[in-house]
Amino acid sequence: MSKKSFFSLIICLIFILTIAVGCSQPAPQPAQKDPAAPTGPVVPDKNEIVIGSVSSLSGPLSPIEGAAFGPIRQMWVNDINARGGIYVKEYDKKLPIKLIEYDDTSDIGTMTRLMERLIVEDKVDFIFPPTGTAMLFAAGEVANKHEKLLIGMSGGASEIKQIIAGMPYFFSALNFSDTQMPALVNMMVDQGVESAAIVFIGDLHGVEYSGAAVPQLALAGIDVIYVKSIPPGISDMSSLIREAKAADVDAFLCFAYPDENILALMQSMELGFNPKLFLTGPGGNFGFFRDIFGDQVMEGMMSWGAWNERSSPGSKEFVDKFIPLYGEPMVDWWGHNLYWGALQFFEQAVEKAGTLDNAVVRDIVATEKFDTILGPTWFEGGMLAEECHTGEVGQWQNGKFEVIAPYDKATAKPIYPKPSWPR
Amino acid sequence: MNRVALTSKKFLLPGLMIIALILLVTSPSYISAYKVMLLTSILMYIVVSVSWAIFSGPTGYISLASAAFFGVGIYTAAILGRILPLTYVIIIGGLVSVVLALIVGVITLRLKGMYFAIFTFGLVELLKHFLLWWEINITGTRGRFVISVHSETVFYVMIIIFVAVLLTAYLIKHSKYGLALQSIGEYEEAAEHIGINVTMVKIATFAISSFFIGSAGAIIATRWTYVDPYIAFNPIFSFMPVLMSIFGGLGQLFGPVLGAAFFAYLEESLITKFPYHYMLIFGIILVVAILYLPDGLIGLAKKWKKGSLSSGLVELLQKRQKGRKEV
Repeated sequence: MSKKSFFSLIICLIFILTIAVGCSQPAPQPAQKDPAAPTGPVVPDKNEIVIGSVSSLSGPLSPIEGAAFGPIRQMWVNDINARGGIYVKEYDKKLPIKLIEYDDTSDIGTMTRLMERLIVEDKVDFIFPPTGTAMLFAAGEVANKHEKLLIGMSGGASEIKQIIAGMPYFFSALNFSDTQMPALVNMMVDQGVESAAIVFIGDLHGVEYSGAAVPQLALAGIDVIYVKSIPPGISDMSSLIREAKAADVDAFLCFAYPDENILALMQSMELGFNPKLFLTGPGGNFGFFRDIFGDQVMEGMMSWGAWNERSSPGSKEFVDKFIPLYGEPMVDWWGHNLYWGALQFFEQAVEKAGTLDNAVVRDIVATEKFDTILGPTWFEGGMLAEECHTGEVGQWQNGKFEVIAPYDKATAKPIYPKPSWPR
Repeated sequence: MNRVALTSKKFLLPGLMIIALILLVTSPSYISAYKVMLLTSILMYIVVSVSWAIFSGPTGYISLASAAFFGVGIYTAAILGRILPLTYVIIIGGLVSVVLALIVGVITLRLKGMYFAIFTFGLVELLKHFLLWWEINITGTRGRFVISVHSETVFYVMIIIFVAVLLTAYLIKHSKYGLALQSIGEYEEAAEHIGINVTMVKIATFAISSFFIGSAGAIIATRWTYVDPYIAFNPIFSFMPVLMSIFGGLGQLFGPVLGAAFFAYLEESLITKFPYHYMLIFGIILVVAILYLPDGLIGLAKKWKKGSLSSGLVELLQKRQKGRKEV
């Protein structure tokens, strides 16, 4: 009994300590005056730009966070700080970035609460976006309410266009079905695809992509054999694959996430279903996805995107910087160059604004054009302009993710039909 | 003990509670906006945990339907938030949960033990996938925006629900229904034989407790701003009240309150201080608490009051000193 009591006391102490830690606030650092700075009574001195980030470091969204925007965020902060920071005219000096990171545990309630904490309690200068579409939509509301600039990265949907119209502080860097689907359908028609089967995950992403694909394929004269939804975490897709095999479809389009796409590919191989065109996205655009199956299996597999080091000189520089830090399997051949380009854009917008005032920076983001790894870059109606996309559809060819559509941005011609599964 | 002492003791607890309530209500004037949001979140967890404990505490029926009631409240706010005043939305959120609880109760409260727990958890999944099907096939989308309400309004509404659930829990516990629930938990067949309408008592209590969870879901949805079936029917809201209540101590009314408050505050502190390690720390604390606090925080507090904790520690120290001397 005494042992139990002792441990009870320890638990009590842990609680008291934890609460003490929770209550304690870091003492404010006294602002150091830069002797070179001009003396002006208006703006208090500042030694760093504080950026707050709430993202899914744990929970179901954490794999996406770890593979998509997470490494880019960290790399960009390190890159800026290695260069001494961002020059802000208002303070007449370069300000390094201090990143405050919180984990929303993939829970939207925690995300909105911590996002507001960053803004009202931590008083960050800027905020980084959370992970995933629903999180992004909710964060857009919070950011707009507090008039904080929010550039959405990993996540979103074409629906965002209507949302952004009512949220002037919300921008989006990723490309979606509205630009990807026409490029895919056009390429399918040119390759002579006659029939397709569509499987989509029962969420906003899947609903949107299947909703965009069905009418466009029908309009292009491609026969849609079936359109079926699957729940997240599905463990058996064999009946869907057998049905597609029995119908002998030319194209199998799986609008789902990495886990479901891995399953679809594995079971297609097991059941000997080898369509001429096989698209998995998102998932197939990651280097790790290719490494799971190997170059031979992935030869000819398509996914959304797209870019590679030949998309632009800046893309090559980015790859040369990213791969030594994180490795080639960690590259996201859909979003990474867009995220990096958007952050380069943001840096230049702050420099041009010469202030950390979000309203001023927001106006510059909405109206200006800057050079980034994407080439001349700008936002149109809150969305990254289509002209800035380096590609819409990609295909694995000899272990490389090649841009195959649209043709004016392609780095290789499509392989159609795709090779049979290796024995 | 003289009359003055008795009278002062009689009024001490209600007096303290009123002071605490006044402090809570006036807190937005002296704490930061974020702390108000944190308090709202803590109150939400208390409401869900106490509601869960109203039924599951005395009867021993482990209900995992909390996430279903909570999700129903959330979707009520998402659907009706733009067309009805907030008060109606919150009340309707609670009432829809009551209707759901009545239906589920009639069907399932004849089930016992693990079967009841599994069925109630299945209900969460059923509603989630039904809504998903509905949104995809009927409305053609999945997520919904919820009209945003000022954080202080959410806070005050949550305080009202919090007070209401505490009062309800207190009144049920100290009424004949409370005794009936207790007897059902101890020996259901015997309770039936002494004339208690077991099914009616169980269903009524289950439905009453669901009202507060639904209302809490309806008001908190206005802070989440965007919801979909996965967000609304998150199974975590089925397990959290169970964990929080056990953590606080199931036997007493104050147990789930204490458990939920500690749990929610602890989680928030750890998330913000140790974003990369909080799960590990949280897990260790939970394991230790389950192993060494079988009666929850309330049990610990009782031991402390009786002095067994300090005497135990003294005993332990004496034993160690004795051991050293022997060495």
